[in-house]
Amino acid sequence: MSNYKIAWRNLWRNKRRTLITVASVFFAIFFALIMRSLQLGTYDHMFRNAIESYTGYLQIQHEDFWDNKIVDNTFSYTPELDQAIMSLENVTGTVPRFESFALASSGALTKGVLVMGVDPEKESLLSDIRGKLVKYKLNDNNIEALKNSEIPQETKKNLEIFRGNSYSSNSSLAIDFNIPDKDSSSILEIFRKYASFRNGYIKSGEPGVLIGDKLALYLKAGIGDTIVLLGQGYHGTTAAGKYRINGIVKLPAPDLDNKIVYLPYDVCQELYDAPGMLTSLAISIRENGDKKINSMIPEIRSKLDPQLKVMGWQEMNKLMINQMDADSKSGMIMIFILYLVIAFGVFGTVLMMTAERRREFGVLVAIGMQKSKLATVVTLEMILMGILGIASGIIAALPVIFYGYSHPIRFHGEMAKMYEDYGMEAIMPFLLPDMYILWQAIVVAIIVLIALVYPLRKITKMQVVDSLKA
Amino acid sequence: MKVLELKNVNKIYDGSEVHVHAVNNVTLEFQEAEFAAIVGPSGSGKTTLLNLIGGLDMPTSGKIIIDGSDLSGLKSSQLIDFRMRNIGFVFQAYNLIPVLTAKENVEFIMNLQKWSRKERDERTFELLKAVGLGDRMNSRPSKLSGGQQQRVAVARALASRPKFVLADEPTANLDSKSATTLLEIMEKLNHEEKITFIFSTHDARVVKMAHRVITLEDGSVVSDDIRE
Repeated sequence: MSNYKIAWRNLWRNKRRTLITVASVFFAIFFALIMRSLQLGTYDHMFRNAIESYTGYLQIQHEDFWDNKIVDNTFSYTPELDQAIMSLENVTGTVPRFESFALASSGALTKGVLVMGVDPEKESLLSDIRGKLVKYKLNDNNIEALKNSEIPQETKKNLEIFRGNSYSSNSSLAIDFNIPDKDSSSILEIFRKYASFRNGYIKSGEPGVLIGDKLALYLKAGIGDTIVLLGQGYHGTTAAGKYRINGIVKLPAPDLDNKIVYLPYDVCQELYDAPGMLTSLAISIRENGDKKINSMIPEIRSKLDPQLKVMGWQEMNKLMINQMDADSKSGMIMIFILYLVIAFGVFGTVLMMTAERRREFGVLVAIGMQKSKLATVVTLEMILMGILGIASGIIAALPVIFYGYSHPIRFHGEMAKMYEDYGMEAIMPFLLPDMYILWQAIVVAIIVLIALVYPLRKITKMQVVDSLKA
Repeated sequence: MKVLELKNVNKIYDGSEVHVHAVNNVTLEFQEAEFAAIVGPSGSGKTTLLNLIGGLDMPTSGKIIIDGSDLSGLKSSQLIDFRMRNIGFVFQAYNLIPVLTAKENVEFIMNLQKWSRKERDERTFELLKAVGLGDRMNSRPSKLSGGQQQRVAVARALASRPKFVLADEPTANLDSKSATTLLEIMEKLNHEEKITFIFSTHDARVVKMAHRVITLEDGSVVSDDIRE
């Protein structure tokens, strides 16, 4: 009879006790994974938004631009520079940008905006502006038309909730309106018919802009309207121009959506009187792991003039990383409290088990079982209980995590507003299974092993005669 | 042949409030295949003496020599190993391992001694048959009566052919019929296996069947009657 077999049978001699212990471990791992997945998923989403809408993973800038974002801190964009970067392994393209601030006016309304000169075609390597063009808009007229259409009653109920919203993809519309996959084509067809939004795009050398959806709302401007941009150009010149609004984009980061104006970078250079200059050259890469990015930074730096510098996404998003780090720590404190409660639960059952079996332990040692072998059996029992709890917790959490990944939690109303006031998209997606699952499993396994110290100590210090009297 | 020898064994419990001389200068010898009963009133030191003989407790002074080995010279793990190979135990409350079947309980010590499967199966079957439980080999203790459990305990105690078996009040929890059956089985096995049995008991039936009766009072041996 192997130790394993005895341990396994011991588990089921008191089913209730075993189930309580396994359930403690199960709930610890289940809730810890859900909490961690939600937290890390939210961070991941925010980083992706920031990276894919704005910074990219790597940028070349004038050495002073990051600290002082004025047009004077630009650098010359030459074919030689482009070739040098493109020759590096893992680089899939370069994305030129000319970024500055200006006042944007439409009619009597004015707002400070972020002017982003981009290459309309190359930018798709990084931020896919074309994919962010608004496809559907739920304005008053469209909503009335949709209410009278043949879309299901359930979908109609949500129209009021999302009045004024814009959507740049079918999937985000389907998530908000809970449109089931099987009905999606017919319902989306109706949305296309009554709420589709016609956008244009921008083209190199042609004046015209794309503006953020929230900025368009603020300026009360639409397609075909004109906005005036007024700012400070290269070496103190005045930058002024008026541009037709060709399209409206819906950016996931509300802060950016509220201030972004895209225009072709050559048009932007002209506006700021800085021909041939760039504020940054973003680099599109194939493999975007932190290790790879960090290894690329010195490689790129070696190809640059000394007044230029390379920045990774972590450096460019330092503030956000610090905020996430602080938030992550508070999340970990919550998980720690959860673990503490669970640890006491596990310890309580271990304590009971040890007291109940004291006499049995005495008998086993009396008839010739070495204490080390007895300790091995008890350790195996605890490990088996731990494995059962951890495995069942992970198995139960995985479907929730996968569902939460494909159907992120979206906030509406006041909650959504609160999120957007903090510059965050009102959405909480889950992070797909990653190393965090392993870490939670390890932490719970350690708790189980710590609880094991008590019975092991009792066995080691056991006086057989005293135990037989128990 | 001498299997066990006690020389001037004393056991003193010296607590802060009480000083108990539980075993007082006991000198005894036991031969192979003896069937001996230790009797005496409650508190006379029977169980303490049995614990000392079994190496479960250490004497305050004196020597306990089993098959030529002095128990006091053994380390804790050596003592456990020594018990496994040389001493069988039968407890008043049976104390079978609840998660193991009758067969597995009997096999347990043989497993610890790493006997081959064939040897284990043969010996287990032989013993369970001898105690009248050949048909209950796969029953767990909870499915057996008290008498049956105690018979399994006897089979377990004999499994690895120890030098002697110590039985602490083995019939105390049994009804009269079960007790008689158990005693008959033990006497038969004592004959067949040539293994020494030492009981502590209050039970007159055990005393009646014993070949030797040692009487204790206040920890001292007051009589040692060997019957022919």
